Amino acid sequence: MGSSQTESFEKMIGAISRLLKNGEMVVTGTLSPLPAAGCLLAKHTHAPDLEPMLYGDPENRLSEGLHEFFGVAQKGKVDVFFLSGLQIDRQGSINLSVIGDYDHPKLRLPGGAGSAMLYSMSRRTILFTMTHTKKLFVPKVDFVNAAAFDGETRTPWRRGGLSHVVTPLCVMKFDEDRKRVVLDSLLPGVTLDQVVENTGFDLDVAGREIPVMEPLTEEEQSALRGPVLEKMRTIYPLVCRMIWG
Amino acid sequence: MPFIPVIGFLGTDYMKIRDDFKVVKDPYSGEDYVVVPPIIPDVAVIHGLKGDRFGGVTVLGARNDRLLATAARKTIAVIEDLVEPGEVLPGLQEVYVAPVHVDAVVVAPGGAHPTECPGRYEIDAGHIMTYLTAAKDEASFQNYLETYITGPADHEAYLEKVGFRPSEWK
Repeated sequence: MGSSQTESFEKMIGAISRLLKNGEMVVTGTLSPLPAAGCLLAKHTHAPDLEPMLYGDPENRLSEGLHEFFGVAQKGKVDVFFLSGLQIDRQGSINLSVIGDYDHPKLRLPGGAGSAMLYSMSRRTILFTMTHTKKLFVPKVDFVNAAAFDGETRTPWRRGGLSHVVTPLCVMKFDEDRKRVVLDSLLPGVTLDQVVENTGFDLDVAGREIPVMEPLTEEEQSALRGPVLEKMRTIYPLVCRMIWG
Repeated sequence: MPFIPVIGFLGTDYMKIRDDFKVVKDPYSGEDYVVVPPIIPDVAVIHGLKGDRFGGVTVLGARNDRLLATAARKTIAVIEDLVEPGEVLPGLQEVYVAPVHVDAVVVAPGGAHPTECPGRYEIDAGHIMTYLTAAKDEASFQNYLETYITGPADHEAYLEKVGFRPSEWK
């Protein structure tokens, strides 16, 4: 890190942290360093009773293995889960399978794993992405791996859906009434035009005052670069070396 | 089990491309559920830190290796250390796979390279980059295979080739 300036990914971690409430059980899956750091930051600041269940955490002892995570979610114990996608659309659907036509793809991706189940069985899901472009935020994803809601015929067992989307530029939220993603706040240093230009769907910003997220406080900054980073090095050593040095 | 219900697939595009995913009525609640057939691998290869000659091994719990071993028709366990049966005790992050699920044990220290073996060695990020770069086109991938996979005489020669030495291990 070396500089006292807040990096873009640190702002994202701050934004994620502030979305988490004290007492919630928050689970992060594979390849989720920013959500994991967000959970730890929340626990070190405003949410001391947060229960993080972070995949890869050496202190997190499981009796069976990763599929236990799924069992815990199916039982309804997971308050917040994090997902991402190579495409995310206005309805909050995510695509992890294929870019282009399914049978003749431009790009074949690893697939959705448990995302469909987790999207419906976690009380709320926060989407996160390290890039914010029109290629990623599309009007309609090429393949729906997991849907933010069940539409008119709400499945009785569905427990939750999309809460927020955190990107390097902004935080979006899910408008429950209209079932679509709208802009919620800008990250510090980002303009509204930047967000609109880089998003492939209408974020419903016309006539609305979009607030800018408060910069990370000194408390947050020092927790993040202190105990949070120290713990993160045990879960994501490689990522930590890459982004913090 | 012939099939299991999986929650969350209704309303996704999986239902368009997977004709083996079926919708059935839950006989208890009357609700619709998507059921999927089991995956039964012919062979599972799992990697563990410790194991014994009878096939008892300890593996990282988070990798679901025990689940894989129980699902596959045949399971090969690759282990870092061969120990006496009484010493195969799972560590904090590990689970125990019983010999009944394991058909063969291969003692291969460094066998997880270039991925990690937690507690023993880290992922070899440099080599993963080499692989990713090589995988971009057919010719460079062939070259990679010849250099690292088909070229070296055995696993030890492979480790030598990639510059991975026991001295770096914990």
